[in-house]
Amino acid sequence: MWLSCEQFLPSKLWSLQKLVDKCIGSRIHIVMKNDKEIVGTLLGFDDFVNMVLEDVTEFEITPEGRRITKLDQILLNGNNITMLIPGGEGPEV
Amino acid sequence: APFRSQEKKKKESIFDLSKYIDKPIRVKFQGGREASGVLKGFDPLLNLVLDGTIEYMRDPDDQYKLTEDTRQLGLVVCRGTAVVLICPQDGMEAIPNPFIQQQDG
Repeated sequence: MWLSCEQFLPSKLWSLQKLVDKCIGSRIHIVMKNDKEIVGTLLGFDDFVNMVLEDVTEFEITPEGRRITKLDQILLNGNNITMLIPGGEGPEV
Repeated sequence: APFRSQEKKKKESIFDLSKYIDKPIRVKFQGGREASGVLKGFDPLLNLVLDGTIEYMRDPDDQYKLTEDTRQLGLVVCRGTAVVLICPQDGMEAIPNPFIQQQDG
């Protein structure tokens, strides 16, 4: 179930900084420019939105939703990130 | 002076997105993804916060062709570095190809 605006952050004007900060410690779903998606627990991010995630699952969307699960921590290069979905569970498989 | 001075240090946006706040917009990304949602926030780097977002899925055989398929994403942050186009949701429509030459048969 996806989050709505009001329940997540009751503030007037939103920004990437505020929203992603709020998400630290919880699950986040990252959609890349290509057909790859990542779901993990957000540990942190930097000014370039490189992200440190743990308990990560990687999804390839094109070949019928193949799933690759990785544990521990990853550093995700922010170069190819298109969308960030707080509380997201990833694509339907 | 009609042109912006080169000495101006302050980064100014050429377009004010605040007029689209709380309005539905369509966004296209590098890599071909397209989405629409209600604009809830933005910053000077063009990072966007969209609510009630839906993504328009592309044809697996032709990466540039949209299908009827969509998926609900909800509250989403869009990276400004990936955004290539922003327009109001009702600001575009598909039209028949105006460039096709009719062959004499």
